[in-house]
Amino acid sequence: MNKLLALCGLILLAGCGATTTIDEYRPSNQVMDINSEQSVVILGRRDAGHYDTDREFINCVANKMKGADIGVFPEQQFVDAIYPWFEPRTAPKGLKRLRRLVEDPAIKEQIESNGIRYLVWLDGSTETHDQGGSISCAVGPGGGGCFGFAQWEKSSIYEAIVWDLTNLTEKGRLRVDSSGTSYLLGVVAPIPLLTPVKNDACTSLGTQLKQFFTVDQSQ
Amino acid sequence: MPKTKTTLFSLLIAVIFISGCSSTAQVQIDSQFPTVVSKPKPVKAAIVFTEDFKRYIASPNSKTSIDLGSAQTELLSNAFAGLFNEIEFVSAVSDVTFENALVITPSVQEVQVSTPSDTYLNVYEVWIKYSLDIETVSGDQVDSWFMPAYGKTPDSFMLSKTNAIEEAAIIALRDAGAKLLLDFYRIPSVYNWLVTEQRSENNRNRSSLSE
Repeated sequence: MNKLLALCGLILLAGCGATTTIDEYRPSNQVMDINSEQSVVILGRRDAGHYDTDREFINCVANKMKGADIGVFPEQQFVDAIYPWFEPRTAPKGLKRLRRLVEDPAIKEQIESNGIRYLVWLDGSTETHDQGGSISCAVGPGGGGCFGFAQWEKSSIYEAIVWDLTNLTEKGRLRVDSSGTSYLLGVVAPIPLLTPVKNDACTSLGTQLKQFFTVDQSQ
Repeated sequence: MPKTKTTLFSLLIAVIFISGCSSTAQVQIDSQFPTVVSKPKPVKAAIVFTEDFKRYIASPNSKTSIDLGSAQTELLSNAFAGLFNEIEFVSAVSDVTFENALVITPSVQEVQVSTPSDTYLNVYEVWIKYSLDIETVSGDQVDSWFMPAYGKTPDSFMLSKTNAIEEAAIIALRDAGAKLLLDFYRIPSVYNWLVTEQRSENNRNRSSLSE
């Protein structure tokens, strides 16, 4: 009986795994050097009408990168240091606009004084869809409980674009696509079986981004 | 007696729950805004912040009030300083001391707020519609420029209505600063005024040299 329960538990937990795909594109095989005095800034795109690239995801990717001794400059600090040129209305969408921005000596000075070498644009969102089932909970004088079953699917699609602020070129693109189904079982107590879709997307993207950068230990 | 205590306790819990559902919001914007990174043009301007503007409290609906006055004065002072290399801030047009300068009087036309219960979207949004009356020192109108600004929260998860509207209003104010710096010199009438002023300045310099 215990073995059967354990087997059921395993099957349920296995069903909570997210499927994650990463696509990587680099225009050249050149190594992206970064020394200990330089840092990377990870910025979220916030110019779309129906979604914002959430700060929680950006912080998560930044934390994954920090683990590789890569200096990560805080997003808000960067946006404030170059205000108002990286606001949703004014942020450069392409390299042409970035080159024009950096022609301004005041902006260039801010980038250089803060030691920002690379800029990573993150654009995407996590969405819930295909919700099904129903669960109801009730409380009475004799006690309470939940009965039913609900499920929903989540998908996280994010794209990272890496710009070199010294050469003003694009160094690569990464796209992560993660999806998975979560369940909520109502067996007296509600039992959530959640698939960490966003976390998987963050871990995969952060790990892959780390491999983009080579820390130059000689300096 | 214990029964009375239980009733009172239940009432207290009910009041706490009901007040938690209250949809009124009185928002005070206390945020600090960053200094703009911009090289000002060699233009003189007097900015008129009227007392009404400095103490402006928006009431987009009967249940919401947003105290924007000090925050918008701070933000626009900072943004205007990034546009003009000689600037003075006054409370009335009569206090302007500059000659050959632009006199700019900002005012708020309207503030709108939308909440998830209005739009069924998972965000709070704030629109601030500014109008800039741009004149010369002699009182000739250069333009009346409509300057809308927009801000929204990333989502509404775990945000109280007050905090969410404050966050959206701060983003809208920052957007106002961005729009001002990006578009002010693109206003055709301002551009024409600058060109004319530049020509007059050159002529004055030439005539003073020839004398």
